[in-house]
Amino acid sequence: MTATSAVQTLDISPVGRVEGDLDVRVDIRDGQVVNAWTRAELFRGFEIILKGKDPQAGLIVTPRACGICGGSHLTCASWALDTAWGTEVPRNAILARNLGQLAESIQSIPRYFYGLYAIDLTNKKYEQSAFYEEACRRFAPYTGTSYEQGVTISGKPVEIYALLGGQWPHSSYMVPGGVMCAPTLTDITRAWSILEYFRTNWLEPMWLGCSLERYEQIQTYDDFMAWIDEKPEHANSDLGFYWRMGLDIGLDTYGGGCGRYVTWGYLPHEDRYQKPTIEGRNAALIMKSGVYDSYTDTHSLMRQDLARENTAHAWYDEGTNDIHPFDRTTQPIQNNSHDYDGAYSWSTAVRHIELGRLEAGALARQLVAGGRHGEDWQHYDGFILDAFKKMGGPNIHLRQLARVHELVKLYRQAEHCLREFHLKEPFYIKPTEKDGRGWGATEAARGALCHWVEVEGGKIKNYQMIAPTTWNVGPRDNEGVRGPIEEALIGTPIADPTDPVEVGHVARSFDSCLVCTVHAHDGKTGEELARFRTA
Amino acid sequence: MANVLWLQGGACSGNTMSFLNAEEPSVCDLVTDFGINVLWHPSLGMELGDNLQRLLRNCISGETDLDILVFEGSIVNAPNGTGAWNRFADRPMKDWVQELAGVAKFVVAVGDCATWGGIPAMAPNPSESEGLQFLKRDAGGFLGTDYQSQAGFPVINIPGCPAHPDWITQILVAIATGRLDDITLDEFNRPQTFFKSFTQTGCTRNIHFAYKSSSDEFSQRTGCLFYDLGCRGPMTHSSCNRILWNRVSSKTRAGMPCLGCTEPEFPFHDLAPGTVFKTQTIMGVPKELPTGVNKKDYALLTVVAKDAMPAWAEDDIFTV
Repeated sequence: MTATSAVQTLDISPVGRVEGDLDVRVDIRDGQVVNAWTRAELFRGFEIILKGKDPQAGLIVTPRACGICGGSHLTCASWALDTAWGTEVPRNAILARNLGQLAESIQSIPRYFYGLYAIDLTNKKYEQSAFYEEACRRFAPYTGTSYEQGVTISGKPVEIYALLGGQWPHSSYMVPGGVMCAPTLTDITRAWSILEYFRTNWLEPMWLGCSLERYEQIQTYDDFMAWIDEKPEHANSDLGFYWRMGLDIGLDTYGGGCGRYVTWGYLPHEDRYQKPTIEGRNAALIMKSGVYDSYTDTHSLMRQDLARENTAHAWYDEGTNDIHPFDRTTQPIQNNSHDYDGAYSWSTAVRHIELGRLEAGALARQLVAGGRHGEDWQHYDGFILDAFKKMGGPNIHLRQLARVHELVKLYRQAEHCLREFHLKEPFYIKPTEKDGRGWGATEAARGALCHWVEVEGGKIKNYQMIAPTTWNVGPRDNEGVRGPIEEALIGTPIADPTDPVEVGHVARSFDSCLVCTVHAHDGKTGEELARFRTA
Repeated sequence: MANVLWLQGGACSGNTMSFLNAEEPSVCDLVTDFGINVLWHPSLGMELGDNLQRLLRNCISGETDLDILVFEGSIVNAPNGTGAWNRFADRPMKDWVQELAGVAKFVVAVGDCATWGGIPAMAPNPSESEGLQFLKRDAGGFLGTDYQSQAGFPVINIPGCPAHPDWITQILVAIATGRLDDITLDEFNRPQTFFKSFTQTGCTRNIHFAYKSSSDEFSQRTGCLFYDLGCRGPMTHSSCNRILWNRVSSKTRAGMPCLGCTEPEFPFHDLAPGTVFKTQTIMGVPKELPTGVNKKDYALLTVVAKDAMPAWAEDDIFTV
């Protein structure tokens, strides 16, 4: 690099295939990204809509904040009311909620991998790779052999969701005190056979090239690489093929990010969260919550009171200091022009009160799963943390591996739910409505999601959501610190500025979901609303 | 071959997710077997940035034929009619839609947001959202009552939150194969083939409706959800219980009250306190009665139904 080399600014609007509209501006010098800004460009104001509505309105409205993670929003909305009302949730209902969450997340993995992510491997940029021809045969949109099978079969797992909730997406079957359904034996046996179909028609033969049991033996990065080399079936499975091609084209060489990670944890244990409280949640989760700081190699638990939002560079008139979501008074500004020294996104910057910016998503979950914090009985899996250390830190390829590694674990948890239902016992205990504050959280497929609700006088006083993409796609904060995706873009090589597929790789490796992010804003009074309404 | 361009405005991507659940035909079948050429889709398209902007401009200039424009999500007009709160490809989405709707042979609105405004248009409608040719029950919307696509049709509305995947794929196939004339639209420009019958048509709880046996709280396998839990199945036009969801069930079958999401008023009562999952009544009589039934006849039916109700109607007949 020379001091005189020119900086070229590239505005990419939209990036596409990130669920919703993400715009990215990058500065490029000598073929590498040296600065980046991510912009969320849609504002619908869901929390504004929820203000003053029925306490249960969130059960109807929030799944429709995001059609991709609607079941995850419903999970948060119902647990938030459970904690606010002090309900009792029967064991069967916890299992039915978890199973819905699991079905949605299992669906998301092939749909995201083939539909949104892998088709970039057919970009002409990779023509020189020995893997290119085969990648086109498998991953070409609509016609690729794996694309067609993977995208089509992604509709299967959510049939289980429909058995419980009537349809996916956009059911509201989870309610304070339990669920609306009471499955019969045929629902359970049908759900088993759907899982089996998914396993025997795609998961084992096409994705893994081996049994679930063989895959589950992988504990370390060396185990994983040995598994690939063990048999042609492993090396040529979609997972094995993807991993080998990614190393060949250098997906392990960029797209790092901020180096600190967050998960709220998910899947409350059916015997440990029947009297849900905000404080009691961490100790009740099968998949534990946590923050992983790779700079100090330490794990700690995550709590809702540690989260803050900062709007210094977002299109809100709410000062420059950190605000806890319970205290936000969203004031969208009228003029949402692009001012990179000022405000340039509808997304806020989310921070941990002590550790600052954190990355959310499957990589975060799996790095936290490798920690020894939390309860002895909680899920532990050291594979991705080991790979993280062996590979020298985060990159696009590892983020992707973490995402797909969860598949077998989620499948096992779904089996657990089906085994544990006691069909003659209750799925619902009618609660008493009352005022109060609540908080509900889960892990959507793409990362940490939570809702805060305040009910006063029998209606919603304040409703707040922080979506995984809010963590990841947020703009700079008041200290000028870049958001996780902005940071991950630094150093990205751009071969062809007219087709910056590498920017797409980085953005898509976070499985960004803009539709969900851009309404994580709330809080105005009715009078203020009138100011920017035309009618 | 029909070129399809699918765009999203104030959207949650729920209709796209629903569309991807389709089988017979699946989304891939549409492309490989039914001659649908997807020019671009926000979740599926290859192009980004300038290349996409060029593709859109080529449609507008006529260099590329735009046979079907599918729109998902509301038209966002905020702030102050500018549409700047929903920018896409560097300009307000509504400006793209205005130009593309002018050249498209057919325009299909999928989901409630694109048809009537949907959840974003719920009071106080902070994003100033509206549907393509309606705002709730009022005709007009973004494109106006006089709008016709190049083929001479109004916007074809496929409502629902989300729309059922088969409703979407079958309309796309009908257009692509030149069979749209077989389809009759109702007063809200919904294809009657999907929206003339009621949500209740085919519901497994119909027999309990007939005997006025009520499911009075959640998680009961038996009983009708209309009397206490606010189910709108008897007043809502859809085929949810004829063409099942995800091939296996429907909300009312599973125990969830119908929210009326294929009707322009959804979400009903703007979800005001006390209206969610609760039947609105006056002196014990539902304020809204099944379509076409008057109060006097309803009262008569009630007496007769309760009188005739067999004992088993109160039992769990969908037993484990």
